[in-house]
Amino acid sequence: MPELDIILAGLGDAFSPVTLLFVLAGVVLGQFVGAVPGIGPVMAMAIAIPFTFGLDPLAGIGFLVGVNKGGLVGGAIPAVLLNTPGTPDAAATAMDGYPLAQQGKPLKATKMALFSSVTGDTFSDIVLITVSAPLAIFALRMGPVEVLGLMMLAFAVIAGLMGRSVAKGLIAAALGLLAAMVGTDPEHATPRFIFGQFEVYDGLPLPAIAIGMLAISELLSRLAQRQGTVPAIRMDKGGDPADRRVSWAEYWGCRFTMLRGAVIGTILGALPGIGSTAAAFMSYASARQASDDPGSFGKGNLHGIAAAESANSSVMGANMIPLLTLGIPGSVSAALIISAFMIHGVQPGPFLFEQQGRLIYGLFGAMILANLLNLIVGQLGLRLWTLVVSAPQSFVFTAALLMCFVGVSLASGGLFGIGLMLGFAVLAFVMTAFGFSVVVFIIAFFLGPRLEISLSQTLALLNGNPLALLNYPFGLLLMLAAPVAAVALARKRSVPTREEVT
Amino acid sequence: MREADRWSGLVCLLFGVALYVAIIPWQVETVSYGWLRPRTLPRALAVIIALCGLWLMLVPSGDARPVGTPWLRAGLFAGLLIAGLWLISRLGFVWVAPVLALAIMVLSGERRPLWLVLGAAGLPLAIWWTVTVLLERTLPGPS
Repeated sequence: MPELDIILAGLGDAFSPVTLLFVLAGVVLGQFVGAVPGIGPVMAMAIAIPFTFGLDPLAGIGFLVGVNKGGLVGGAIPAVLLNTPGTPDAAATAMDGYPLAQQGKPLKATKMALFSSVTGDTFSDIVLITVSAPLAIFALRMGPVEVLGLMMLAFAVIAGLMGRSVAKGLIAAALGLLAAMVGTDPEHATPRFIFGQFEVYDGLPLPAIAIGMLAISELLSRLAQRQGTVPAIRMDKGGDPADRRVSWAEYWGCRFTMLRGAVIGTILGALPGIGSTAAAFMSYASARQASDDPGSFGKGNLHGIAAAESANSSVMGANMIPLLTLGIPGSVSAALIISAFMIHGVQPGPFLFEQQGRLIYGLFGAMILANLLNLIVGQLGLRLWTLVVSAPQSFVFTAALLMCFVGVSLASGGLFGIGLMLGFAVLAFVMTAFGFSVVVFIIAFFLGPRLEISLSQTLALLNGNPLALLNYPFGLLLMLAAPVAAVALARKRSVPTREEVT
Repeated sequence: MREADRWSGLVCLLFGVALYVAIIPWQVETVSYGWLRPRTLPRALAVIIALCGLWLMLVPSGDARPVGTPWLRAGLFAGLLIAGLWLISRLGFVWVAPVLALAIMVLSGERRPLWLVLGAAGLPLAIWWTVTVLLERTLPGPS
C-alpha cells in the first residue's frame, strides 16, 4: 500500500492543468463519438492510442479514460432520442428512454441517463479506489465452474426480458447463441458455420451485429413510415418545464434502482469478459422485477433508464480492478488501456501499486475528475445533441446510416462487416414484425462464447462426475440460483400487472 | 395475429430440422473426442428451435404484427443500402455516399433544396474530413 504522501501527490497530478485539459478533451470526444451511432468509444480509443505516445503517461491514460467515460454517457443520447443506441450497452437505455422521448420528454430522459450514468460511474470508481485489491483476488478465484454458474444465472435473468411468449424468447436466445457459434469452436478449434468465409473465423463481429440489429433495423422501420420531413423528435419549447428536467425528488426516487444497477455493474465489471451490455440488461431486468409497476417498464419509466445507465457506466471503473491489480483486461476498452500502459513503459500487475503508486492514484483522481467533467459537458452537450436531432428525419437518419456504414467498416474490417450489418438488420426487422425479441438475441450472442468456453472447461474439470460440483460450492450455488431465478421471474410475469388489472 | 405466429412457428420448426439434418453435418466437423464436441451445442440449439417452433404453432401468443409493417418501403430502403454497398465495393465510399444520401433523402420524402444539399454534399464531406483527414483512416472502398 503506497504512503499517504504518494497518494496525495498522485491525486494532485490529476488536477494539473495539462491532465485536466486532456481528460476534458477525452470526455468531449467520447461524448461526441458515443452520440454518433456506429463509432463508439472503443474505436475512438483504438484510434487515439497512437496520439498519446508523446504525452505524459497520466495525461495520455487520462485522455483515454475520458474518451471511454464520455462514450458511455454519449451512447445514451441517440438511444433516447432516436432509439438507435450509439453503443451496444445503451440498448437497454433505449427501452424506456425512447418511449419517454416520444411522450415529449426527451430532455428529461437524457438528463436522467446522464445523472444515473455519472452516479453509477462514481460509485464504481469509489469501489475501485477502496477495495480494488480484495475484489480482484475474489474475481481471480472464480474458475470455469463459477463463471458457468454466473452465465446460467445471467440467462435465467434474461428470461425476464422475454416478453409475452416464452417460446419466442427461447427461439430468439437460441438464434443468438447459434450466431455466437460461428467461427472456430473453443475446445477443438474446428470451423463452424463459416460457409467458406474466412473473415468469420474469429466469429461474427459484435459491432456489425449490434449496430445492424439495433440501429439499422430501426432506421429502416422509421424511414419506411413516410415521415421524412418531420423532425426526428419533437422538442416542445413550451409545455411543462418539469418535462425538461429531472427534479431532485425524481432523482432521489431512483436511488435504490441506481444503487442496484451500480452494484450489478461493479460486480460484473470486476469479472473479466462479461461487460457493460450484460450489466445494463441484468440491471434493467432486476429493476423491472423489483418494481411495484413492472408494466410501466418499456413505456418511459425513469427507473428503467436509471437501472440501465447506472449499471453500464459502473462497469468501467470495476473493469480497472483486475487490470490494475492483476494485469488482466476485463473488456476491450480495458485491453486498450492496458496497451496504453505498456506503451508508456508501465507494466500492470500485482506490483503496480508499489512501483507506480503515484501514477495509479493520479489515474484514480483523473477518473473522478472525468466523472465531474462528464456531468458538466453532458449538461451542455445534451442541449447541443437535442438541437442536432431537431433536424428532419430524412437528414438525421441519412447521417446515421452513413455513419453506421463507416463505423462498422472501421470496427469490423471493411465491406464484409457492412454486409453482415445489413443482413442482420433485415433479420431484426423480420424478428420485430413477428414479435421475437432482438434484445434477447443480442444478449445471447454476446454471452455465447463465454458460456461455451466455461461449459467446456467445467466438463473437463468435473471429469464426467456431477458430484465433483460439490467441490465448487460458490459455482454450485450460482447454478442452483439460476433455475430458482427463472421460476421466480416466470411466476412474477404470470402475475397480472397493475395496468393489466385496470 | 395468431395465424402469423403459426407460420413463424412452422418456419422455426423447419429451420431447426434443416439445421440438425443438413446444415450442421455440412458446416460443422465431426470430432470423436473431448467433453464438448463442436456439434453438441449447435445440435441442442437446433432441437430447442424446432421444439419451440412446434410450441408456437400449437400455442400462438398472438403478439406478431406483420400486417401493419411497411414491408414494401422497408424492402426498398434495404435494397437501396445493399445496392449502395455493392457500388461502394466497386467505386468507393467517396463517390457513392453523395448519391446514396440523396436517394435516401428523396425516397423518404425530403424535397427542400437546402436539406438535400446538406445531406448529399455536407454529410459525405464531413464524414470524409473526420475519417480521412482528422483520424487518418481509410473510408470503405474497393480492396
